[in-house]
Formats: sequence, C-alpha cells, structure tokens
Amino acid sequence: MNAIEVNNISKHYGKVKALQNVSFSVGEGEIFGLIGPDGAGKTSMYRILCSLLLPNEGSASVCGYDVVSGMKEVRKRVGYMPGRFSLYQDLTVEENLKFFATLFNTTVEENYDSIKAIYSQIERFKTRRAGALSGGMKQKLALCCALVHKPQVLFLDEPTTGVDPVSRKEFWEILAHLKERNITIIASTPYIDEVQKCERVGFLSDGILKGVGTPDAILDTFKDIFNPPPIEHKQRDDTEKETENVIEVEHLVKAFGSFHAVDDISFTVKKGEIFGFLGANGAGKTTAMHMLTGLNQPTSGTGRVVGFDIRTQYEQIKQHIGYMSQKFSLYEDLTVAENIRLFAGIYGMQDDDIRHKTDDLLQRLKFSEHRNSLVSELPLGWKQKLAFSVSIFHNPGIVFLDEPTGGVDPATRRQFWELIYDAAERGITVFVTTHYMDEAEYCDRISIMVDGKIKALGTPDELKRKLKQPDMDHVFTYLARQAVRSSD
Amino acid sequence: MTLKYLLQKEFIQIRHNSFIPRLIIMFPIMVMCVMPWVMNMEVKNIVVDVVDNDRSTESHRLVHEIEANRYFIFHGQQPTYQAALEDIEHSKADIILVIPQNYSRDRTLGRMPQVLIAANAVNGTKGALGSIYLSQVVTAHAQPAVAALQKQASTLYLYNRHLNFKLFMIPALFAIVMMLLTGYLPTLNIVGEKEAGTIEQINVTPVSKWTFILAKLIPYWLIAFFVITVCLLLSWLIYGITPVGNVAFIYLLAMLLALFFSSFGLIVSNYSDTMQQAIFVMWFFVMILMLLSGLFTPTRSMPPVAYLSTYVNPMSYFIDAMRTVFIRGGGLNSIGHQLLALSVIGLTMGVWAVISYKKNK
Amino acid sequence: MKQFISFVIKEAKHIIRDKRTMLMLFGMPTAMMLLFGFAITNDVRNVRTIIVMSNADYATQEVVDRLGASEYFTISKMVATPSEAEKAIQNQQADMAIVFPHDFASRRTGLQFIVDGADPNMAQQWSTYANAVITNPKGGVTNTKLLYNPQMKSTYNFVPAIMGMLLMLICAMMTSISIVREKEKGTMEVLLVSPTQPLMIIIAKVIPYLILAFLILIIILLMSVFLFGVPVQGSLFWIFSISTLYILLALSLGLLISNIAKTQLVALLMSAMVLLMPIIMLSGMVFPVESMPQILQYVSAVIPTRYYIIAMRKLMIMGVGIEQVLNETLILAGMLIVLLSLSLAMFKKRLE
Repeated sequence: MNAIEVNNISKHYGKVKALQNVSFSVGEGEIFGLIGPDGAGKTSMYRILCSLLLPNEGSASVCGYDVVSGMKEVRKRVGYMPGRFSLYQDLTVEENLKFFATLFNTTVEENYDSIKAIYSQIERFKTRRAGALSGGMKQKLALCCALVHKPQVLFLDEPTTGVDPVSRKEFWEILAHLKERNITIIASTPYIDEVQKCERVGFLSDGILKGVGTPDAILDTFKDIFNPPPIEHKQRDDTEKETENVIEVEHLVKAFGSFHAVDDISFTVKKGEIFGFLGANGAGKTTAMHMLTGLNQPTSGTGRVVGFDIRTQYEQIKQHIGYMSQKFSLYEDLTVAENIRLFAGIYGMQDDDIRHKTDDLLQRLKFSEHRNSLVSELPLGWKQKLAFSVSIFHNPGIVFLDEPTGGVDPATRRQFWELIYDAAERGITVFVTTHYMDEAEYCDRISIMVDGKIKALGTPDELKRKLKQPDMDHVFTYLARQAVRSSD
Repeated sequence: MTLKYLLQKEFIQIRHNSFIPRLIIMFPIMVMCVMPWVMNMEVKNIVVDVVDNDRSTESHRLVHEIEANRYFIFHGQQPTYQAALEDIEHSKADIILVIPQNYSRDRTLGRMPQVLIAANAVNGTKGALGSIYLSQVVTAHAQPAVAALQKQASTLYLYNRHLNFKLFMIPALFAIVMMLLTGYLPTLNIVGEKEAGTIEQINVTPVSKWTFILAKLIPYWLIAFFVITVCLLLSWLIYGITPVGNVAFIYLLAMLLALFFSSFGLIVSNYSDTMQQAIFVMWFFVMILMLLSGLFTPTRSMPPVAYLSTYVNPMSYFIDAMRTVFIRGGGLNSIGHQLLALSVIGLTMGVWAVISYKKNK
Repeated sequence: MKQFISFVIKEAKHIIRDKRTMLMLFGMPTAMMLLFGFAITNDVRNVRTIIVMSNADYATQEVVDRLGASEYFTISKMVATPSEAEKAIQNQQADMAIVFPHDFASRRTGLQFIVDGADPNMAQQWSTYANAVITNPKGGVTNTKLLYNPQMKSTYNFVPAIMGMLLMLICAMMTSISIVREKEKGTMEVLLVSPTQPLMIIIAKVIPYLILAFLILIIILLMSVFLFGVPVQGSLFWIFSISTLYILLALSLGLLISNIAKTQLVALLMSAMVLLMPIIMLSGMVFPVESMPQILQYVSAVIPTRYYIIAMRKLMIMGVGIEQVLNETLILAGMLIVLLSLSLAMFKKRLE
C-alpha cells in the first residue's frame, strides 16, 4: 500500500489557482522531494495532506485514511514542519523541545538519538530563549522539534532555507536514519544537492505537477530551471586595476556582554571586487556587516569603508553605500516606481534624473509593465532583483548584500548574479553573504568566518588548493566542522 | 530636500492603506454623532417613592406637589419604609420620602416636622442632587418662609444659559479625536516599519534623524488640521454649536496637542519592538492622561497630589484652553499660559522623540 | 492529560515571561483603581469664588466669612462690579461670583450668583451649595439619609464598573490575541496537526487567563475594601459566582474574536473597537444609561458588562440577596450560552 495517494487534487483561492489536477503517490518509507519555485503550490499541497485545508476537487489519502473524512486518524499519524515554522520565542530551547515532544505523546529522552546530531549543537544553549537565537539556530531548533517524534509520515516544507551547508548535511543524514525506520518523508527544498538525496521528486510549477521521477531525470528534463549553464566570469586581474581599498578592517570586535559575536577580524576589500562573506549560522556575519554599514558601533578595532571611519563617520559612509538586508527591504505598499523614487530621492538625486534612470532601469529589467504594480504583488525573485537594483540605483561605491537569494530557484538566482556582475563591471564593489556554495564560486575572493573569526581568506581556487578540497562545499564543511561554539 | 521624498512616501502609504483614510474620516464623524449624546452626566429621571404616615390633607398636597414636579418621576406610594426600601433594592426607585405621622399638625403648630429623605447613593452625584432637590421641595411646602428666603437669590449661568451638557463636552471630544488619530497612528506606523524591516533600510541611508522624524510628524499635523475642521463643521451642523472665541486659537491649540501626541507616539514606538507592546503602553498612558485631564470631572475636585499632575498634563491644558475659547470666548490673555505650557511640553517631547530614535546602536 | 497540563504550563510561561504585558495586567487595575478611587470625583471642593460688593458692612462680611470657612469655597478675591467678576471667570481665574446688593444688611435678600455654566452639573451644584451655606437654615425640616454610600464617594459607584471593564478586557482581549498569535506565527498549524484534540488546545489556552482574571478580581476587591474602605456588603459566594459567569462570557467573546481575526493587530483593534469603546461609553459605567437617547439605550442592552455592573453594584454595595439580581444573572447566563455555542461552532479545525 502506498503511504500517500493524491488523485486529481485542485485548490484555488478566489481566482488564484494554487493546484490544478495534481496526482502522485508516495510509497511507504520513501523520501520524496516536492520541488518548485516560490508560489508553485507546495505549501497548499502540504496543508491538504495534513488535513489542514480542504481541496476543491479530487481526493487524497495518507496511510490509507482520507484527508477529508479521516481527519483525526490522519493527524495521529503525520508530523508537519511548516515553511515558516515558528518556535515559541519566549520559551527556552529546552522548553520548546519538551513541549513539542509532549504534544506528540513522547519525550525528548525517548527520541534523543534521532535528533542528537543537530541538537548537540544547540544543547549548550538549552536555557536560552528561542527568541534570542540567530536565524539559522532557530531553524535548527525547529528541525529538532519536528523530528522529536516518529510519525509514520513526515512533511517538511523547505526545512533548510537559511541553514548553512554543514547543518544541512547533518539534517539529511538524520532523514536517512528515519527512512531506515520506515518513516515516509516528503520534503521540499531549493538546494540541488538536497534534491539529489531524494529517491523520487515531483516538480511543481504554477500549481501543475510537471513531472515525477528520479532526481537526475527531473533535473535533466528541466535543466534550464535547475541547472542553468554557469555564468562566464572572467577572473579579475589584480595587476590591471588600481588597488584602492574600499574596505579596510583591522582587529574589529563586537561583544555583547562577555560574548564576542565578532572576534578580532581583519581584512580588506578592493575596489570593483565581488567579495563573498561566508560563514555558518551564528558565525557573526550579520553583526560584522551591521558594523560596516554603520548600524552598529564596534566594541574595539578600527575600520574604514569608502575612506570613512566606521566609528565616527558612519553618516558619511551611508552616503556612499547600498544595502539589501536579509529581510525584504522595499516598501510593500508602494509601487515599483514609487520605491525607486523614494530611495533615489533620499540619496539626493534630481527629479528628472530619477525619471530618466527609472525608465532605463525598468527597461533593462524588462519590468516596464510593472512600473505601477505594488511591490507586494510581485513574485519573490522579482522583488529581490528589484531590491538589488534599488540598492545600487545611486551608484554607491560598495553594496552590501545579506543573503540576497534565500529561498529562490536556481534559474532566478542565476539572473540575480548576472545583475551582480553588471554592477561589478560598472565599478561597484559587491560584498555578499550566502549559503549557496555555487554562488561562492562566483565570487572573486571569499572569506569564511567560524566562531566570529575569519578562518580562511582568498580566491575560491586558492582555498581549494590550500585545503586540498575538491570544491567550495567541501572547503566550507571542512572549516565549519571545526567550530566550537554554534550560536551567536 | 530628502524630506520631500519621505513625505511623498508617507502620503502614498496612507492613501494605499485601506483602513487609515476611512478611519480619518469616519472616526471624527462617529465620535461627534454619538458621543455627545452618551457623555451626558446630567442627573435626570429620579424616581421617588413616598411613604405617607400622616395621610392628612397637607401630606396629600405635598405628595401631589412631588407628583407634579417635572424633575422627579413619581413611582407610587408604599405603605411602609421597608416596602419602599425593597423598591430601591429592585432598582424601581431611587429615593424615598417618608412623611411623619404628625406632619400636618406640626406644620400648623409651627414646629419642625421631621421628614425623612432616603436616597440610593451608590451613584453619589445622583443621590446628592436628588436629595437636595427633594428637600427643597419639601422645605417649600413645610416652611414657606425659609423657602422664600432661598428663592431671593437669583442665579445667572454664564456662557451656557440652558445648561446644555453637549456644549460642555464637545470641545473636550476634540481632544479625544486628536489623541487617537495623532497619537496612535504614528506609533503604529513606526512599529510597523520596524516589524517589516524597512526601518533598517532607512537607517543605512543618509537620511538624518530630524528629517525622518519630521517626515513622520508632518502628515499627522495635516491630519489634525483636517480632523479639527471636520469636528467644527459637525458640531455646527448637528448641534448648532459654534465656538464663541477665535477659531484660529482652536487650530493653534490643536496643532500643539498634535505635536505632543505624535511625539509621544514616536517615543513609545522607539522603545517598543512589537505593535502590541506599543499599543498597550500608549493605552496605559493615554488612559491616565485622559482621566486626570478634567475631561469628565473638575480637576479642582481632585486631591492635591492628583491636582499637581495637571501641571504636566497637556490634555488638561488643552481641554481647559479649548473650553475657554470655545465656550467662554476667551482670547490670548485668557489662554496664554496654557499655550505656553503646551508648547513647552510639545517641544520637549519632540526633542525626546528625535533623541530616542537611534540610527546607530 | 499530560499533554493538557504541559499546554497550560506553556501558556502560563508565555504570560509570565512577557514582562511588559504582566506589568500592564497588574498595573492597569491598580492604576485604574487609584485614579477612580482618589482622583476622579465630582465633589464640590475648592470652588474659586469672587465676592462682588459695594460696601463692606458687618452682615455681608459675616456671610463671606462663612463661605470662606466652608470646605466647598475658597474666596479668591473681592471686586466692586459684576463685570470685573465676569472677566475673571472668563479668564478662568474663578468659577463663580456672588453679588451682594448694597442693602444686603437690611434686606437679607437680593443676592445674585454668577456661575460659569460651562459644566452644567457642577454649575448647578455650586449654586445650590452656595445658597445652602448662605441661608444656613437652622435645623431644616428634612432629614436626609444617604443609603449605602453615606459619604457620597464616587468610588462606590466605580469599583463594580472597573471590575466589569477590566475582566472583559483581560479575558477577551488577551485570549483572542494569544490564540491569533499562534495562527499568525504558524505554530497553530503544528498544534492542529498534532494528535491533540483542538478543543483541548483552546481550553488549555483559556485556563491561565481564567486564573489571571480571578487574581485581578481578588486584587480589586482587596484594594476596594482596604484602601478605599468600600465595604463588600453582599455574599462573597454570589459575587464570585456571577463573576465566574461573566469571566466565562468574556472568554467566549475572546474565542469568537480569535475565530474572526487573522492577525494580532486586527484582534487587538477588534477588542478595542467592539469591546472597549462600547463598554466605556454605553455600559452605564461612567455615563448613566437612562440619560441616553432611546436608540442608544437599545444598543446598550446587548452589552453584557451593563448587567454585570448592575449586579455587582447591587450585590457588593447595596448588599441585597441573589433574588434581587436574578434578572441580570439570567441575562448573563443566556448570553454566555449563545456566545459559547457560537464561538465553538465557528472554531475552525482546519485553515481556510
């Protein structure tokens, strides 16, 4: 008997068709990947299978029980981790875990083995409130909470978004263990390496199931989406260009109480360079970036950005930088053109100049017909491209990008990187953090932060050579596994 | 001129919001149409029970007099005080008049008959006013001479000849409308930007604190201006009540109060992380400011400690000055010190709002 | 059962750990009680009076002294003409003026009170009090007895009202927000998918607030007895029974709101707009219901707080038995049944 049967399921919200005639089945003990871009209908599918939503048409069953009529039975047998899984911020790590264990009629002790690999990383913070953890740490705790019980079927909606590569690997190792106990797992992910760990995958796009098959077959059939040709990027020749430093940082420290989030880092970034700022969750990347952009005062050490002191001249720095934060940073209730006008105006550009350049930009992005659409109506990938374009609209000396491509499919990410290259060619220095190791390869130089310190610095090739690893993924894993502390 | 762009943004956001423009228009209308009818503390409809132990012609005449009095609602006669008390317990009556056995005889003999008035004083004002009036009626009947003496004094009620409660409340209602619109909206606005993360984006731009705060305050000044106009029009259209004094002063006072409330809202939002927190904190302070402002009860009846608080309570200055201009027709020298106090408090809060807004931690 | 207890504990932790909300929960009742108990009074006190007289003879001076000596009036100044007095009233330097005729000593009549009529209630009281002080009738014919509240303290009237408002606010607003918060943050999805009964989730959420409401009720009662000297006349058993009824009613209202609202902000606004405003305005808490126009009286008939306040005023202050508040109790019970069944019927076990 199949663990999950889906027959011709359709679901619409008003006019929006979230799912159209979707049918597939998942065998018992299988790891099934449900992949597709943002807004493809994955979350609706999960909710229908968990009996949280009623389908408009079609039927589905989980463990032999219909999701409409057998709601109680289904809920006894499934575990679900929603995409925006949120913990109780005011409960401690341990209390969260205990609560979810009790909720599913089990105890942490009973299932400690199944979560050990991840929980051991955060166990030393078990008395800390979940709200005080960094983004990636929260995600790890959420994973523990989702895995603490052993349901027959486990639904995981993008469980690893925003999680560093090392923890992602550990997470999938746990899933493999669960499979040995015959637990059926359905998971979605934007990472190609994770897709390849599934036994079968279904590709969902615009509510239509485009194909089901082995990961290789699906990735091959839809390779223009999942496996776009790599971007041609000429490695910079340092001798050609002037070697003016845009960022100079020496012995920079940021301490919160006795905790050193950023612990004595020193590095320089040259003009026109694409600098990848990598690190595990909680290694101190965001804090360092906040100091460079004048949002935070350093505890000690010195730093200069575009020639200004980050300690005293942060207001001048702001005149010459662009910034795109982890949270989406445009005003959702303004239109595309209004957002551009606002930020251009803030940087003191003239009205006709703004109008002129707005037309240019929208044409280049092929965005002209969305000029007067509200930003909230745009798909995530478009918003991110727009946010980036707005952040370099005033031609800053350097632009800071904090995980700009989180949760986006490979094709969109590729388009995003083309924009980054364009900017770099125009002489704008790019300072970017990311969890995608393929993006790390696109950078001119990268640094890898571990425990608040920079553990490696150089071009991707140099690092691979020096650490004797085949690719960036392995370089990162090799360094991050040396971490002692695992939270900020 | 970054201010221009920031202001444009604020107005577009207000316009795009489905709720705020409606609130700005509907709220004053709602308040002006309903509140004056509700906020009426006039003591009316006092229900009287009479226990007549005398049953003489004289006592009957007294009962008739009460029956005829328009101030009281005559409920009926009860045989005993106990029975009448039960009426009070059942909320059928508010006040009991017990006429003693020898009322008629005592009255003719010139002795003082002892008439008992027992009032339900759970609502103190109602009990007190009711018993005072009833005792006046009784005195007039029992001792015409004393009553005549009292009648000799005439009373001239200035400014509010017909003792219209609405006239008293309407200027104060302006304060409530202003408080909610210019206090809560900026708070929700800033905390909303915090929650959405857009404030971080603004913080890495070269926008100065002053420009940012000013861009948040100016729209609410205009809203205050608009709201006051609506309120003035409504009070004229619905109640035929127009300000006696100079309208310019009313606008000036409203601007100063708007400065205070929007700065206060900004301060609260600078110290809060979530909307819920901000709303709770605002609500707490606003409640206290309002109750101690003399809106419902005279500030001078307060105990000395509470009265001292009115020296720093902008609502109290506003309502005082507003009533002086609106009802009493006072001019600049009548409200000079209130204007000064409001400006000082408003500016202090404005500066505090700018200081507490931190672009760099 | 183990699940249920861990749920209740979790919910209690949410409440206890949110310092600012805790402060609000206990600070609000205390502040309200103190404000209403001490500061909000209609007593005639410190009325700034101007004396207008052309010649200061002995008889007039005696009357003026009597006025000044009374606790109600303070003589702010003496002027010669009524127009000067009016000017002072307009500038808010005085509240009323008493004009003595030049032949007051001989005639003893012909007084005129010039009163600032802006506040009609107070204006009437001032002139009545002034009249009483001046004529000073020795041993009147009437013997006034103020039942239940001999000192005419406003606190007596307000304590039941504050109870009615705060209990409703805390139960309805806090429960609705805490349920909607779980919806908004996405934890509700996980809770629903768990094997726990949805009804259990709701009951477990409500219990800490129920306890909290009782705590606040006890605090208010203790404050009113020991701080303000408002005696609790009636039976404590019935006070608590009817309060329980009312608290349950408020909790069902909160549940109802949480079914409708999608975000915490909406829940908050709904509680404020739909509950707080009507309660303060129309429940008879501050403004007597009988002074309102008929149509608003009908509106106020559906506000549960109105009946609770009436019942509490009778039970606590007047000390009557349960049979006198039977009507109110029955209405409250009826409302509870309707609201509870409505909110349970609307409770969604799925997302929409």
